[in-house]
Amino acid sequence: MNINATLISQALIFAVFVYICYKYIWPPILSTMEERENKMAAGLEAAKQADDSLEEAKLTYEKELKEAKEEAANIVEKANKRSSQILNDAKVKAEAEAEKIIESGSKKLENEANKTREELKQQLSSIVVETASKIIDEEIDEKKHENIIKKAAEEI
Amino acid sequence: MAKELTSKSYIDHHLTNLTCGKTESVGWTCDHNYYDEMGFMAFHVDSITISILLGVAFVALFKLIKLNPADQKPTRMQNFVEMCVEFVNENIKSIFGSTDNKLIGPLALTVLIWVFFMNLMDLIPVDFLPELTKQVSYASGIVDDPNDAYFKFVPTTDPNITLGMALGVFILTIFYSIKIKGLGGFVAELTLHPFGKFAIPFNFALEIMQLLAKPLSLGLRLFGNLYAGEMIFILIALLMFFQSAVFGVLGLGLHLLWALFHILVVSLQAFIFMVLTILYLSMAHETGDH
Repeated sequence: MNINATLISQALIFAVFVYICYKYIWPPILSTMEERENKMAAGLEAAKQADDSLEEAKLTYEKELKEAKEEAANIVEKANKRSSQILNDAKVKAEAEAEKIIESGSKKLENEANKTREELKQQLSSIVVETASKIIDEEIDEKKHENIIKKAAEEI
Repeated sequence: MAKELTSKSYIDHHLTNLTCGKTESVGWTCDHNYYDEMGFMAFHVDSITISILLGVAFVALFKLIKLNPADQKPTRMQNFVEMCVEFVNENIKSIFGSTDNKLIGPLALTVLIWVFFMNLMDLIPVDFLPELTKQVSYASGIVDDPNDAYFKFVPTTDPNITLGMALGVFILTIFYSIKIKGLGGFVAELTLHPFGKFAIPFNFALEIMQLLAKPLSLGLRLFGNLYAGEMIFILIALLMFFQSAVFGVLGLGLHLLWALFHILVVSLQAFIFMVLTILYLSMAHETGDH
């Protein structure tokens, strides 16, 4: 177990392996690691940005939703107002129409009644004349007594 | 002629490296009987082979996995590999603050994984690989006595290996010290602290000791921890000399306990070696006054 030339050869072998490691082993491993590190950093950064824009989109979405709701409420309110107005108008119109119909109906009725009354008067006067002539057995000259008959008829 | 197996020969066998070296009498040889004659020109073939294999395993593991591009789900192995890189980077960041030194990352990763793999060899049961070597080399006629075939399979229990890596770190420390502070700055750091310019020899003695202590402690700490761990495994294995079922079961239990505990040592020592490597390099980058 003396110290001998083994020491020198081991030092040389050591140098050779360190050189091999320095030249061929270390650089590719390190560059792969660094590349991955960079990629991960970029990925994390992108994720953060995506998060931020998501937050922003959420805010915009909420704001727009609120606006839309307000508008919808407005529209509904307007529609309600309009419908009640239309309803009111229709009611007023219908009432007027009904009144008109009723009026014309009563006018017609009156006319009818007048006509009937006139007819009745006519018939009555002739009945009266007949009856009177029968009573006095004498023909009443219709022309002569026209005035009297008329008066009588009017008195009925 | 086989030697008698005693506890001493058993331990000795486990602590001996397969060594090839140059001798005066027979030239290049791998025969352990000439070990003392080899002197400095000797190579621990087992430590070197295993450490190279584990280094190749490290490179293969980290290079052959499929790296999915950044916009795809990473594969499982990719997650593991990236976890290691991330871990190393975090340690560098906590020690260095920030640095544009491109070498420190790969250096620390190599140290961490390679040392961890080498330490992990300690968890292979102590007799597996040495016995296998014995049988194979005896059967193939490389040695006449199977006990002459040595194989020490945990590289980090060999001080040459740990100090060799520490030497590499030391050279880098010196290199960056001079590169960052300039040669003058480096020399000034060695000679003008802590007592100013009137005590230059004393300062130099202190600072050079401090400087040399770093790689020495770095290498010896790893070696010491792993060597001690290996030693305990060998000692537990010695229970087999009692040839009794009770001790066999006891030995098994102790092996398990020590192995579980050793997982901690294995990973902790790899981690410490890496942290100290980063620390020493960061000290080399410091330009301020102490």
